[in-house]
Parts: sequence; structure tokens; C-alpha cells
Amino acid sequence: MKGIACVAMAVLLGVGFFSVSAFSQEEMVVVDNRVFDAPQRPSSRFEHDAHNEAAEIEDCAVCHHVYDDDGVLVEDESSEDSSCSECHGIADEGRIPNLRKAYHRNCKGCHREQGAGPVLCGECHPW
Amino acid sequence: MHAVYAFVSGPLAWLAFLLFFGGICYRLVRLLWEVNRTEKFIFSYMSWKYSLRSIGRWLIPFGTANWRLHPGLTVATFTFHICLLVTPVFLLSHVVLWDEAFDVSWWTLPDGVADVMTVLVIVCCAYFLIRRLVTPEVKFVTTASDFVILAIVAAPFITGFLAYHQWFAYPVMAIAHIVSGEIMLAAIPFTRLSHMIFSPLTRAYMGSEFGKVRHARDW
Repeated sequence: MKGIACVAMAVLLGVGFFSVSAFSQEEMVVVDNRVFDAPQRPSSRFEHDAHNEAAEIEDCAVCHHVYDDDGVLVEDESSEDSSCSECHGIADEGRIPNLRKAYHRNCKGCHREQGAGPVLCGECHPW
Repeated sequence: MHAVYAFVSGPLAWLAFLLFFGGICYRLVRLLWEVNRTEKFIFSYMSWKYSLRSIGRWLIPFGTANWRLHPGLTVATFTFHICLLVTPVFLLSHVVLWDEAFDVSWWTLPDGVADVMTVLVIVCCAYFLIRRLVTPEVKFVTTASDFVILAIVAAPFITGFLAYHQWFAYPVMAIAHIVSGEIMLAAIPFTRLSHMIFSPLTRAYMGSEFGKVRHARDW
């Protein structure tokens, strides 16, 4: 009986730990697309830490940028504590590109500039 | 792969659209100039009323005697042309690229619907191919260029279908899709695919001559 209780406790702890870590950035494996109503493609594969290690990115603001009200990039400030969808809505809002476009420009734009990383639709959105 | 993608989605895409739109303008201006030079009298009996009446009538499936005479071809040709024009313009993946590049976007087809329409284009291409090989009166007027033109049109849809489903050789298929689409765009003004721009004019001419001169219907 005691053994079963131990196993059950271990499983519960394990599930609890996994649930928390599955949504933390360190363990991130796909881009969060829950904000889209009916996405037609699977969410983009993106292993946050592995990507940044391979791409040698240490500055969070490279992706987690901050722009002021005039659309000027604010140096030395980053926005990793907020989600992309807090600024980028489903539709364009003035100078702020919609979320889908923001993701595409941020990821694919950098990949094109750097000449590395996926640029074709299916390379990020495999079935 | 990056260099290839940058080339086919950059300079090659600009060239294809330049040849497409520039070629259309060139062919239209050239046509009007030639008509004006050699057969100016045509303008005297061109009529908006009879032109639009004829075009409208021929745009209705089974609306003309000739459409009714060839029901298989009628179904195939309407299905083919509607899917051929609508699918690439309203495909989500294409509109995403317009939005990224130029901040313009419009309504899109659900991917599942676009997938079916792509298959319909391919099936109709197969029908046209078999028709050219089998039907005696069509075979008689068929030359090698007819197969080349059919291949030019079928290629973007076959590669697009395979690239979308990512069944094999995905990056190669995606690049092949882009290039084949560009070849088709560039070929439209300079091959018999130019019927895209000339067929309404031919129809207008026929409609005007039959309606205004012969006082008859051309369907």
C-alpha cells in the first residue's frame, strides 16, 4: 500500500513539474499560438534555449524588442516579461504589425539577414 | 538554400511580375497599334453592348450552343479556369507573403478548400492532356508547344500541392513551386496563354460583328 502511495506521489509530482515547466521559456519547444482563433498551420517549432545557443544570441532584446510611441526602437530595453500578443494584435494597428506578421518578420527576417535558419513555410510549420 | 531562396523570392520574382504586367501592357498596346494600322475599320463596328452581351453569355456554363455540344469540356474548362485564377490569389500562404512584404492583405480561402481546388486544376490538366492525345480533331491540331504550355500551367499546382503536404524533398519542392509559378507568369503574355488577356477582346470582336453587323447571336 505504502509503495503504491509513493509511486502515485512521484507521478503527481512529475506531472505537476512537467505542467509548470512546459510553459516556461526555458523549456519552450513551440511558439505559443493560442491567441489565434483557428490557426490553419501547426504552431512553429521553436526550442528557445537551443535556438539561442546555436544562434549565439545573448541579448534578449534581439527578439523581445521594445518600440516607443514614435515607432523608434528603444535601446537597452527588452520585453521578455510580456507576451508578444500584448502588443501585437490579430490585425495591424497603426505601425504595429499583426501578430502573425510580427512572428514572420522577426524569425524569417532575421534568418534571411543571417543566412541561417528556416525561411520556407514548411520548415517552421511541418505537418 | 538561403541564397537560392533569396534569389527566387527576390530578383526573379520582380522579373516575373515585370514580364507579366509589362508584357500584358506591351501586347495590348501592340495589338491596338496593329489594328489601327492595318484594319482600322474594325473600330467602326465595335460595340460595348454587343461585346459585353457576348462575353457575358460565354461566361455562363452551358450558356452557348458550343458549351452544350461538349459538356465534358465545358465542366472541365470552367472548373479549371475558376480554380486556376482564384486559388493562387486567395491562398493564405501567398497572402501572408504579400502582407509581410508590402503590408497588404485580403480575404483568404481555408487551406482545405484551396487544397481541393489545386487538385481540381491538376485533374483538369490531365483531362486536357488526355483529350489532346485521344480526341482525333484535337490531336490533329496539336503541336509540341501545346504540351509545353500545359506543363507550364500544371507545374506550379503540382509542385504547390506537394510542397504544401511536405511529402518528400520539401525545400526542393518549395523552390520548384516558386520558380514554376514565375515561369508561368512570365510566359502568359508571350505564349498562347495570352488568351488570358486576348480572349475577352476576341469575344468582343465576334459579339460586335454578329450583333451590330449581322444582327445575329454568336452563341
